[in-house]
Amino acid sequence: MTRQLRAGVLRLGGLFNRERRDRELAEELESHVALHVEDNLRAGMTPEAARRDAVLKLGGVESIKEQVRDRRGVPGLEHLARDLRFGARMLRKDPSFTAIAVLTLALGIGANTAIFSVVNAVLLRPLPFPQSERLVLIWATNAESGRTDDVASYPDFEAWRAGSKSFENMAAFTTRGMILAGGDQAEDVAAVQATPGFFETLKIQPALGRTFRPEESEAGASHVALLSDGAWKSRFAGRVDVVGRTFRGNEETYTIIGVMPPGFKFSPNEVEQIYTPLVRDPSRGHGFLRVLGRLRPGTQTAAAQAEMDVITSRLAKEYPKTNERVGARIVLLVTAMVGKGRTGLLIFLSVVAVVLVIACINVAALMSARSATRQRELTVRSALGASRKRLLQQLLTESTLLALAGGLLGLLLASWGTRLLVALLAQSFPIPRLENTHIDGWVLLFTLALSLVTGILFGSVLAVPAASPDLNEVLRESSRTATEGAGGRRARSLLVIAEVSLALILLSGAGLLLKSLLVLRNTAPGFSTENLLTVDFSLPKNKFSNTIERSGFFTNMLARVAALPGVRSAALVADLPLGGGSDSLGFHIAGRPDPAPDGAFSASFNIVSAGYFHTMAIPLRAGREFTERDSVGAPGVIVVNDTAARTFWPGGDALGKQITVPGAGDSGTLTVVGVTGDVRQRSLGSAPQPEIFLNYAQPGPAWPWLVLVVRTTGDPAALTGAIRNMAQSVDRNVPVSRVRTMDDVLSGTLAQPRVYTLLLVFFATLALALAAVGLYGVVSYTVTQRMHELGIRMALGAERGDVVWLVLRQGLSLTLTGTVIGLAGGLAVTRVLTHLLPGVQPGDPLTLSAVALLLIGVALAASYLPARRGSRVEPVVTLRYE
Amino acid sequence: MKDTEPKADVWQGTLALMALKTLETLGPLHGYGIARRIEQTSGDLLSVNYGTLYPALLKLEQEGYIASEWGVSDNNRKAKFYKLTRAGRKQLEKQAREWERTTGIIARFFAPEGRS
Repeated sequence: MTRQLRAGVLRLGGLFNRERRDRELAEELESHVALHVEDNLRAGMTPEAARRDAVLKLGGVESIKEQVRDRRGVPGLEHLARDLRFGARMLRKDPSFTAIAVLTLALGIGANTAIFSVVNAVLLRPLPFPQSERLVLIWATNAESGRTDDVASYPDFEAWRAGSKSFENMAAFTTRGMILAGGDQAEDVAAVQATPGFFETLKIQPALGRTFRPEESEAGASHVALLSDGAWKSRFAGRVDVVGRTFRGNEETYTIIGVMPPGFKFSPNEVEQIYTPLVRDPSRGHGFLRVLGRLRPGTQTAAAQAEMDVITSRLAKEYPKTNERVGARIVLLVTAMVGKGRTGLLIFLSVVAVVLVIACINVAALMSARSATRQRELTVRSALGASRKRLLQQLLTESTLLALAGGLLGLLLASWGTRLLVALLAQSFPIPRLENTHIDGWVLLFTLALSLVTGILFGSVLAVPAASPDLNEVLRESSRTATEGAGGRRARSLLVIAEVSLALILLSGAGLLLKSLLVLRNTAPGFSTENLLTVDFSLPKNKFSNTIERSGFFTNMLARVAALPGVRSAALVADLPLGGGSDSLGFHIAGRPDPAPDGAFSASFNIVSAGYFHTMAIPLRAGREFTERDSVGAPGVIVVNDTAARTFWPGGDALGKQITVPGAGDSGTLTVVGVTGDVRQRSLGSAPQPEIFLNYAQPGPAWPWLVLVVRTTGDPAALTGAIRNMAQSVDRNVPVSRVRTMDDVLSGTLAQPRVYTLLLVFFATLALALAAVGLYGVVSYTVTQRMHELGIRMALGAERGDVVWLVLRQGLSLTLTGTVIGLAGGLAVTRVLTHLLPGVQPGDPLTLSAVALLLIGVALAASYLPARRGSRVEPVVTLRYE
Repeated sequence: MKDTEPKADVWQGTLALMALKTLETLGPLHGYGIARRIEQTSGDLLSVNYGTLYPALLKLEQEGYIASEWGVSDNNRKAKFYKLTRAGRKQLEKQAREWERTTGIIARFFAPEGRS
């Protein structure tokens, strides 16, 4: 053992001072021969015979030297070092190739690193709870509505908790706003209501005080609350004696029992400030809970899911009325938290993967073109006895060297690009933990692994065929001016075709997203967004328990706002257009049977005040809008939109028709007094639905919030402060939660498509640029190869145009093949993205032909440059090469 | 190189042992001398390739069984001389014992039936 160690150390030492040792060996062998010759002479041989015999008996000197060298050092290491040195020399020798290859790889690897670092922060890094990998959310599923992330009812949650053994702990919660009174103005803050055991499931202790006791969730129990660290610091100045103090929330008094530690945050969107116990709701039909579970150590999600399936099917039998189609679905908490952003991230991850594949193909094609000229070198090495393994090793070392250089540069690009990416993604929609994105050990490891895989991948594409040259053929072929075999040409053509078609797939996706965004931008929302201010109110429930109280407050406020200087008109609406949706209303049409025995007519409904359509500049198609005279005592009236009028009264005679809505108006009978233009109520991308407008001044469904819309003469943002003060002076118990200009609302709804489009267009452009570089490289190489032939052609009278066309044709045929494949791929892929493309057909022919033409144009330019070079050949010069 | 033939290792081992024995018998000696001696004693075994001795000598030196230094031969020629170290002497004894045991076993194995 020690002997081997000693030998090993000496061998490592043998890596140095090689020249001296080589010299010494040579001297030793020389003296060996000399001694032998002397002996032979003494034995009576002639000098020539003596020398010949000595050398013969010694054997091949070079082979001995090689064996001694191998024994002296560590052959693998030495070969690697030699390959590295040689590879670096080869790369230095051809700086333009190296620069292009490294930059290409850097872009591909950098894009992947940037996206991965976001995925790492958002999806992969564990949540800040102990053993967070065991935390899951248990969604209700509803086979009827098709929802897989529905809320559960309290009795269902209790049955799940009691019936399952897979969970160490289970708790339910919901997020709601809480109106905090006190101070100058009431405020609407985010709050979490949770069952006792919620913090225990998360395994988080409060920084101060205690968590909920089981009895505190019973109805009528005294109100207790925990504060978030932020609320504690901002509202109670971080006082240690805060436990036991009280505050007013939702018109009730709460006693503070504890404070959560800094950084604790559960709601993915708004940062919650208050935690209160959730009160049991015995209704099995009322879903409002999200259920959090902690799996027992060692329990697999699948096993827990199987158990939940058993429980839910039992509940379905026991309570068929409410639970027949209700199931449960277990999702890891970390996945559930990311929500919508996950799809986007995964899409971008695959997009950058495609970019990297293109980058790989690109470098492979360039290297292949180069390796053709090196074929001779490889053949000679092979003929001199280099084994296939050694050649392969050498080529792979070179490609890995390139990839590592690319990875290093890519890391630099990514560290800069990640910041940009995070800033951009933050605009699209709330992604929890996005702000934690940074380059950590995992990201570094990812980049390193990616670089190595990349290097080996594109290296082996060429190295495998190149390392086993057919000696005869290559030597024969290269005896003339080196033209390479058909194999390399074909391989390179395939690579370029693949590259072009992948680039086109990305381009189609980007083109369709862009078109969709343009369509959305040009979609008229149905009202004027200019100089419009919106103010969100929440009404405390008890203080404003009926229509008269509510409309009293709002009428008062409307009058004061309308009197402000700079205000043209003001009105109220329950659901602001572009706000994501509205509730639906079942109703009967007078004098007409219901569409189904147990189903009434159904339409979206909205509640608006007098002057709403005027203020929003929504055109009236017929009749009138609500006025001050349509009050509590007056006959119940409604306004319908165009679509509703056409849907329910196709004859065009909606005016004066009556519907009945249980509980609305005096008798529940409402008369249509006006028809207005359609408005994009949900979003710019969704087509208008039938919509019925109820009058806020008349009895109807409860509406605890309203949005004030104010049309101003000048910049609406300038009025923000005045309107806030105005609302405050009407009633300091009513919080103003948000003041936004309508232009902000509009651009907010476009933020996500804009970010998606921007990113995809960026990556697709990158892909296009890479494909162009690849094509340029390959065509340019061919021109170099064919210089001689082109020279002959020109000598024989070919025009420049002929030569240009000859070369262009090659690039064009590759591009066209790639285009056809890419279009087919693009059609298939974008079909999957349909839901991201409102307003556009996935196979939109205009967009697809536009991107295909763009690609062909760029490809022509990329092949024209080398073609022109080819046509400038002086025949005499090339022929002289012979 | 390494992957020529499996019997190379055996041959290298044998060669090393013979070199050690030679150095024990004849004292410090240069490579040519060792090769000649092995050829004389082993008949034709080493007749073609004296060269194969040098990697074996390097290995022995790295393992510390022999040491080398440049010196002058009987007829005034500069040559590299190898000599046995103490470790080499011990190694030789050990190897010789093992060799005897092995040859003993093999001899008995091949002995004609009925005579054991």
